[in-house]
Amino acid sequence: MLDRLRQNHLAGVLSVLGGLLFWELVSRLLVANALFLAAPSQIVDAIYQLTLTGELGRHIYISSIEFVIGYVIAAVIGIALGFGMASNARFKQAMQPWISGFYATPTIALAPLFILWLGIGIWSKVLVVIFLVLFPVTINTEAGLRTTSERLIEMLKSFGASRSQIFFKVSLPSALPFILAGLKLGIGRGLIGVVVAELFGSRAGLGRLISQSADAFNMPELFAGVIVLAVAGIAMTAGFGWLEKRLVPWTKD
Amino acid sequence: MPRKVEITGLNKWFGELETLRDIDVAVEQGEFISVVGPSGCGKTTFLRIVAGLEPATSGTILLDRAPLAGPGSNRGFVFQNDSLLPWRTVLANALIGPEVAGRVGEKERTRTLDLLQLVGLGGFENYYPRQLSGGMRQRVNLARALAIDPDVLLMDEPFASLDAQTREIMQTELLRIWEQGRKTVLFVTHQIDEAVFLSDRVLVFARRPGRLQESIEIKLPRPRALALKRTPEFTAYVDRIWTMIEHDVRAAVIEEHA
Repeated sequence: MLDRLRQNHLAGVLSVLGGLLFWELVSRLLVANALFLAAPSQIVDAIYQLTLTGELGRHIYISSIEFVIGYVIAAVIGIALGFGMASNARFKQAMQPWISGFYATPTIALAPLFILWLGIGIWSKVLVVIFLVLFPVTINTEAGLRTTSERLIEMLKSFGASRSQIFFKVSLPSALPFILAGLKLGIGRGLIGVVVAELFGSRAGLGRLISQSADAFNMPELFAGVIVLAVAGIAMTAGFGWLEKRLVPWTKD
Repeated sequence: MPRKVEITGLNKWFGELETLRDIDVAVEQGEFISVVGPSGCGKTTFLRIVAGLEPATSGTILLDRAPLAGPGSNRGFVFQNDSLLPWRTVLANALIGPEVAGRVGEKERTRTLDLLQLVGLGGFENYYPRQLSGGMRQRVNLARALAIDPDVLLMDEPFASLDAQTREIMQTELLRIWEQGRKTVLFVTHQIDEAVFLSDRVLVFARRPGRLQESIEIKLPRPRALALKRTPEFTAYVDRIWTMIEHDVRAAVIEEHA
């Protein structure tokens, strides 16, 4: 087990360590200017200092609230819309252009407008997150329900199953991997939404931390914000991978 | 003796295409009947109509003298592809019939576990379909159909996707299982030797439109072992049926390649 872990991850770990070392050397020896680039050691130090003062915790808290509220609302509405579109052809026809249109549009560009409407508090960011997460979830849910295997539906029909039995015993479980994939896609988009919306105008949050650090040419703190976001994205995506393995194991191997 | 299944004047049109014409078939209780014929003779459509998965254009089907409409738990359907639910264990898959009917108690569980034992899957009840071979999956498919204790078992080329050796084993296994309960079976296949080996009677279908050409009684002793396939009596049956449909099969093959 440990041997396999070592074999599978050895190259990756070495590559990351090598990259960090290279970064450290370049920023210390080549650039040697804290206005342009911060070394990993300086970033670690900045994270430590920001944690001590409680400032980092406050930014993380605000960004998390915005992300979670927006994400949950988008997930609930997205799944419901997907169900509606899969079960009613008229409704799907009516919704399709909007869904496809909004999905293809970089709706993040609407962030300034939302801030104008809702102010620089959390709700403008929540709305941005909703806009970014909603459509991939809707599209995937609808696709998952639509592509349910006809063979499996027919099998259930042969036992005299009702429409609702077919839905709960076949359509829903076979759509689950798609729904999870949509939610996974939403994580990255939601995080981008939070940060970019905060860049446009906010009182707190990781985007705020990044923008105020940039204004002050404080590269270590700027990178501290970026690193926290990266870790959050990686951790949530990995968590989703774990969830998928537990919930829809038949799609693996 | 009353007929188990009585099919009279069965016709099926798909739009402009006449698929089945005037099929009359009477099946005795406990009879094992196979349907063979060239592709396009409507044998699968015939079975699906009996299952209630497809409506007939005209004609009647009586099961125990009661007319059939739609699918029901008095018939168990064994699909060509196993159609197992990948997120369910073997046992949960086999129990889907009772579950749909709204009765999964201790009695059904015990019965289904016994059936899994009977089809040779004892100890595999907690496995998932992806962990099973094609032959094992077809055994679950069969156990699932038997779990509702149907009056009639409908089998649609259940061994077609298996390799030749596995198929032969499954044929003997099917006969072994059938001997335990002697259900009435309608078995569709394109393999003449499979039909002769399994059946009391083989219905030979012709194509364009699909119709019953001949009903051939197979007077070979039971229980049957694979060695039977090498006897002259067996070969004679196979030859006789092959000669009947050869012309149609050639026509079908040419059409498919045209």
